[in-house]
Amino acid sequence: MSRIVVLGAGISGHVAATHLRRKLSKKHTVTVVSPNSNYQWVPSNIWVGTGRMQPKDIIFPLAPLYKKKGIEYKQAKVVTFHPEGDTEIEKPYILAEYVAGETVGAMEKVTYDYLINATGPKLAFDMTEGLKPATNKAYSVCTYTHATEAWHALDQLIQEMKQGKKKKILIGTGHAKSTCQGAAFEYILNVEQELNRHGVRDMAELTWIANEPQLGDFGMDGMLLSYGSNIMKSSELVEMVFEDRGIKWIIGAGVNKIEDGIAHYETLDGEYHTETYDFTMLIPAFSGHGFKAYDKNNKDITDKLFKGFMIVDADYTPKPYEEWTVQDWPETYQNPSYANIFAPGIAFAPPHAISKPRVSKNGTPISPAPPRTGMPSGITAKLVADNIIDTINNKKPSLRHKGSMGNMGAACIASSGYGITKGSGISITTFPIVPDFNKYPDTYGRRLGKTFGEIGLAGHWLKLALHHAFLYKAKMRPFWWLIPE
Amino acid sequence: MTRRISKTKRFIMMNPIIQFFKFIYLSLKILVIVAGGHGGTRRVDQ
Ligand SMILES: Cc1cc2nc3c(=O)[nH]c(=O)nc-3n(C[C@H](O)[C@H](O)[C@H](O)COP(=O)(O)OP(=O)(O)OC[C@H]3O[C@@H](n4cnc5c(N)ncnc54)[C@H](O)[C@@H]3O)c2cc1C
Repeated sequence: MSRIVVLGAGISGHVAATHLRRKLSKKHTVTVVSPNSNYQWVPSNIWVGTGRMQPKDIIFPLAPLYKKKGIEYKQAKVVTFHPEGDTEIEKPYILAEYVAGETVGAMEKVTYDYLINATGPKLAFDMTEGLKPATNKAYSVCTYTHATEAWHALDQLIQEMKQGKKKKILIGTGHAKSTCQGAAFEYILNVEQELNRHGVRDMAELTWIANEPQLGDFGMDGMLLSYGSNIMKSSELVEMVFEDRGIKWIIGAGVNKIEDGIAHYETLDGEYHTETYDFTMLIPAFSGHGFKAYDKNNKDITDKLFKGFMIVDADYTPKPYEEWTVQDWPETYQNPSYANIFAPGIAFAPPHAISKPRVSKNGTPISPAPPRTGMPSGITAKLVADNIIDTINNKKPSLRHKGSMGNMGAACIASSGYGITKGSGISITTFPIVPDFNKYPDTYGRRLGKTFGEIGLAGHWLKLALHHAFLYKAKMRPFWWLIPE
Repeated sequence: MTRRISKTKRFIMMNPIIQFFKFIYLSLKILVIVAGGHGGTRRVDQ
């Protein structure tokens, strides 16, 4: 009888929990500890942020589903890790604090045989002075609550534009080391489409601001891709789209302070600037949650488990960009100190960035952190679950399932406007996610053909189809497991 | 705004019939890339 505890019910935690439950016999317990009572399909938040979807379209409550499927659920947040137990309890456990219901505030030691840490990132707004959702005219679309606030403010702005007032909109990254440029990219294009739909496009100045050294870097060092019969750089593709839509851009910019309607930033050439706005949506830095870990004698062993995010089977030896290899990236997401702890999705500590690190003339690092999008989050969660299932069923440790981001493809279907006949999407696939310069030396480390871009209405349909398919899968409807991660 | 996408290209991008076939093509292509498998990169599994 084993107990597998999954921390977090986002894309990776939910994928792990559902696969474990489906494949393991009922004598084993699957427990999910997560503070948010709802599952949210995060990628569709950009449509909530433009008023084209309601939060109810992208969320569902976890408790009834977990009850029906035999998954134990605790609406709580992990506070500390105790991988060796303590002087009272021999078994490893995590300390969880309940966040809702009658037990709110109560603490519980949740013991486990296997632990999957899928707590994703902390949205570190506090790393940028003055950046806080719905303050200083700054918004976020990282959660459905943030996205709802963003839409209300944007809607208000649209009404003012309809009355003839010109407005400035600034969208991008809100910290010198932010990641998730793709989400901001989608949002700016969706906002542009909405302004057109409301007939106020000419009343708005739309500007992209990002820590990317070049447009289309996306935290992945950019890419060379096939586009129709051409081969082009992602920077050229994005530049084409921005110019075509009249979007200005500021790149190599590390936003460091937000005041009411003013963004302060430093550029790679070491200059300090400001940009004024009437509405801004900026992706914050993502950081680890700052969890602490203790051994059985209550001695702090945080550095055995965490390096910001959770330490896994990556090669963390510091080395220059020129020496980075795909082999540095983890394959099994297992913690090297405790073989029964895993961290898929965004929760694992990457060995380094993917984009070349850059510092401004003043010594400020300004370059994107590595993204871990939905697809790798799901894939890594499933392979972690599969290794645990094999280990339990075969009664001996198994790490047969492997999935390095250096040997995994990802599809980024970026919505560039909502609408069944007027919508559009930019579909970009990348293989591998982390460039392998030894295997593909002439094509920027990626395999052409499997790394391609497409623009058009079909992209919007695809994004919408994925929205429905992944929510169907998450709700564990009949044959849900046939839908790949 | 600078016209960077030609009228013909734009027509192709937004024509529902052409895009329907593109949708099928893209779905399959993406499925092949993404569901096409993944694995390790280290010498020991090669
Ligand atoms: C606006 C937006 C759009 C995006 N669009 C796309 C897209 O189009 N395609 C794509 O592939 N990816 C996209 N992404 C990225 C994708 O959403 C992430 O890769 C994915 O959500 C990561 O999954 P995760 O489970 O690792 O983390 P998360 O989804 O962040 O889940 C973390 C979970 O941990 C829980 N948690 C937090 N703290 C604790 C705690 N102390 N104890 C227990 N549980 C805790 C949270 O409540 C949550 O349930 C987008 C991201 C954003 C923000």
